[in-house]
Amino acid sequence: MKRYDAVLVGAGHNALVAAAYLARAGRSVLVLERRSLVGGAAVTEEVFPGFKFSVFSYVVSLLRPEIIRDLDLPRHGLQILPLESTIVPLDGGDYLGLWSDPDQSRRELARHSPRDAEASQVFGRLMQHMAMAVKPILGMVPPDPASLAPSDLRGLLRLGGHFRSLGAERFHALYKLMTMSSADYLDEWFELDPLKATKAASGIIGTFLGPRSPGSAYVLLHHYMGEIDGAFRAWGFQKGGTGAISEAIASAAREAGAEIRTGAAVARVRVRNGRATGVLLESGEEIEAPLVVSGLDPRRTFLDLVEPGLLPDEVVEAVRRFKIRGSSGKVNLALSELPDFTCLPGTGPHLRGAISISPSLDYLERAYDDAKYGEFSRRPYMDIVIPSMIDPGMAPPGKHVMSIFVQYAPYHLNGGWTDARREAFGDAVVDTVACHAPNLKRAIIGRQVLSPADIERITGLSEGNIFQGELALHQLFFLRPLPAWGRYRTPIRGYWQCGAGTHPGGGIMGASGRLAALEILGRRTG
Amino acid sequence: MSAPRDAIVIGAGVNGLVAAACLAKAGRKVQVLERSETTGGQSRLLEFAPGFRADPLDRDAGWLPPPVARELGLTGLERVIPRATVAVPAGEGEWLVLSSDAARTAQAIRPHSARDAGKWGVFCGRIAALSGFLEALYTLPPPDIDTTAPGELLSLLGVLRKLRGLGRADMIELLRTVPMSVAELLDDWFELDPLKAAIGASGVTEIRQGPRSGGTAFVLLHHHVGAAPGALRGRGYWRAGPNALTRAAETAARGLGVEIRAGADVARVLVKDDRVTGVALAGGEEIAAATVLSSADPARTLLGLVDPVWLDPEFLLALRNIKYRGSAAKVLYALDALPDFPGLPLAGEAFAGTVTLSTSLEELERAADAAKYGRVSETPFVEIELPTLRWPALAPEGKHVLVAHAQWAPYALREGPWNPARREALGDAVTAAIARVAPCFGERVRQRAVLAPPDLEARYGLTEGAVTQGEMTLDQILFMRPVAGASRYAMPLEGLFLCGAGTHPGTGIPGGPGWLAARRVLSGRRHGARP
Repeated sequence: MKRYDAVLVGAGHNALVAAAYLARAGRSVLVLERRSLVGGAAVTEEVFPGFKFSVFSYVVSLLRPEIIRDLDLPRHGLQILPLESTIVPLDGGDYLGLWSDPDQSRRELARHSPRDAEASQVFGRLMQHMAMAVKPILGMVPPDPASLAPSDLRGLLRLGGHFRSLGAERFHALYKLMTMSSADYLDEWFELDPLKATKAASGIIGTFLGPRSPGSAYVLLHHYMGEIDGAFRAWGFQKGGTGAISEAIASAAREAGAEIRTGAAVARVRVRNGRATGVLLESGEEIEAPLVVSGLDPRRTFLDLVEPGLLPDEVVEAVRRFKIRGSSGKVNLALSELPDFTCLPGTGPHLRGAISISPSLDYLERAYDDAKYGEFSRRPYMDIVIPSMIDPGMAPPGKHVMSIFVQYAPYHLNGGWTDARREAFGDAVVDTVACHAPNLKRAIIGRQVLSPADIERITGLSEGNIFQGELALHQLFFLRPLPAWGRYRTPIRGYWQCGAGTHPGGGIMGASGRLAALEILGRRTG
Repeated sequence: MSAPRDAIVIGAGVNGLVAAACLAKAGRKVQVLERSETTGGQSRLLEFAPGFRADPLDRDAGWLPPPVARELGLTGLERVIPRATVAVPAGEGEWLVLSSDAARTAQAIRPHSARDAGKWGVFCGRIAALSGFLEALYTLPPPDIDTTAPGELLSLLGVLRKLRGLGRADMIELLRTVPMSVAELLDDWFELDPLKAAIGASGVTEIRQGPRSGGTAFVLLHHHVGAAPGALRGRGYWRAGPNALTRAAETAARGLGVEIRAGADVARVLVKDDRVTGVALAGGEEIAAATVLSSADPARTLLGLVDPVWLDPEFLLALRNIKYRGSAAKVLYALDALPDFPGLPLAGEAFAGTVTLSTSLEELERAADAAKYGRVSETPFVEIELPTLRWPALAPEGKHVLVAHAQWAPYALREGPWNPARREALGDAVTAAIARVAPCFGERVRQRAVLAPPDLEARYGLTEGAVTQGEMTLDQILFMRPVAGASRYAMPLEGLFLCGAGTHPGTGIPGGPGWLAARRVLSGRRHGARP
């Protein structure tokens, strides 16, 4: 029987990060991936010949700089090309443009509202301060508030000290972001509805919240915490699609000595006397390891991989209560030509950025209302990018790929996600985009529609939730994923969790993987 | 100008009266100025039809903090906990009646769901533990991150110790529960829809959110501060009458030498050289005092009574950003006789609790959606009480008053202002909702009065008709209430204090804000850093 120091279940980006850190520390590491490619929900696949889709996740911002540095990812192929703009088509044919260049952005905003143009600068600076205030928390293992252990008390004191050092004004601003709805928060700053809606949209990504739901401002902040080359809030596109990020991390892991096996689905964690002893593959093969680290979501980690009866009842209860509702869909298109947006006709730099279908807060809120009652949004929120405009290698010459991220498409759809419903969903999405780019339909050569049920089926993410569990306050930090099991451990000794279902949560961050690995290695963090 | 007082208190509601009494007890010369002809504030009885009176704003007696009761000798007030606390339609003409006795409630639930019946006791215990912690927090001024005063630090530590003293499981449960939605909390515990609706209603009362919104679990806990363990939605009422507490507070205040003047409408707070010097009434009369406490809400006080030149622009902005979100309407019915609710014994059980008409969390959520778009709910969430079952004197012999609380009826409607037609439409919707469970209801109605939020605003001086004086959402409580940096009752204008529900601990804690504000005045501490 093969034996390793550590076995990783799943080759999503967090598990790959954990594998790389463990391997670099000299452990013998094996990563087991069910599918034929690594990456989990960060994969690039040639769904139609010549057309490469970032099938699920499509942009990156939150990948931790320390991970990029420690694993030397640029040498392994990480190359993020910034998205320079977001265009919001408005009713009536105009558009709102948000540019990463601050001067251009201000000029464009001033065209619609000079007041908001000024406010935008101040807002941006505040959000940057907030992101900096929260950043250290992303890099720390959550302290246990009920513990009396000296190391936990130190952690709590450090955390308390950190908040006090912010000063009252910043602390209060942070508290507002943690408790308010993104709509209410933005209403205090801006008057332009499409501006508020577009910003509020990052507060609903991957959630079961509307812009008027308390708690959505936190998700807004979460998405603000991304940095590229030191610039906060910048989003980018990886050359070759998000799969190339996973490949880069995998390459770093392999270089450090980790072994990665694809086509190897894990059926069970082997447990004896309360300790993990290895894994059993679906093929029947057994692999021994005193350390098993699951990169899968908490439901799979605790309920699917573990034999029933081995976990205390209250843990099983708590896992079942953990909210992991999928609400996002994806439509990937292979196009024979570029879309021609009525609000900004022709080709232009705007096609190298994102197009956001978010004309008003009411629009987003109504989209949410549909989902609350078990329907996909009749008029959904969409974040559209054309990767081939930034990286021509994603499509054959002269042709293009379009990636459309959609809210909302609830996993629990009335009547279930039948093929007909999936296609109806795809149609609703394409129809909505076509309203703004009338040439779209005739340009479609191929279409891939992914409901949360498809996301679950393909990647294993329970209920197709892209964050491995909702980013709600009561499921964050030391409460993520479960009270008492928010520090990467499980009740089974030697069995660890390292996916986005642990602190600090989702997005292509890698933070969970790194923190889990450092905990395993006994290294101090934060 | 009349003889100077040490302090003027604006508003003779319970918080104003308690604040005045506490100051007087410490030897200050205090005058309370009340705009209307009668004292009592929110608890004033309204004669909405000849011979028919109601107190539409108070849902229950709230929690009178023991230190307040002790300080003012208000210990003689008797609170009645009704045996039946909430009744909810449970399908097929049946009713589920919750009791203030947990065992009785479990028995009532059992035929509908044995599983839920089995969990009821534990759930009650959990709510009691969590809201019990809030009780400790509510007798202290709100802790803040920049607390440096040794006394306050000690209190803060005391709160933290009490938090940890809950024990690990309960402490984590509290931290977990507070930001949750009441729907998620109840879905975790129970399966029976009407049960969840009956309890969940308490999480969305006086808030412009549905049960699926985060922070509504906190609202549920807040409404259970002071409730007897096991008596969910049963904080009870004052035996002596709906305004028993305010009358007692007034008596105590007068006994301590407080002057109370009705019919005195304060129009302006007078300021000179950045300090308060007194107030001016609507008629022009000026009354001098170096300290002014206002129990009116923050907007009314600071944006209405103070010249903005005396206030920092950032503070003014923060004040304007306070969300009131008044969206509760009251429909008052003068009835010729007790209505018959088939399947629900009213008079027999001396049913003095609440009848809630929504039968699922989804119904509540759908009703709440309308408010987001500035509309009145098509099918409003309605709860009713028959105060004459508690206090027969509110109506002539044999006749009754029914008070219906309807949400969501936003203060500002997108289609235009509240007018008679819109009021009648709301009244009709409420009447129809009641008639669905009490078919002959319409025939008993002698007269009806609809109080939409603008009516509540006009009568009670509440901005947007919000009885909370500021929505009780997580971002507007504790050190954020009324605005960050000004949560310890002293305003950034020397000598001006807030003492109403718009300050910590908020609504439903009668006398709490008034007492804490008075203590702040007596401590002599100047206002700290600006927001």
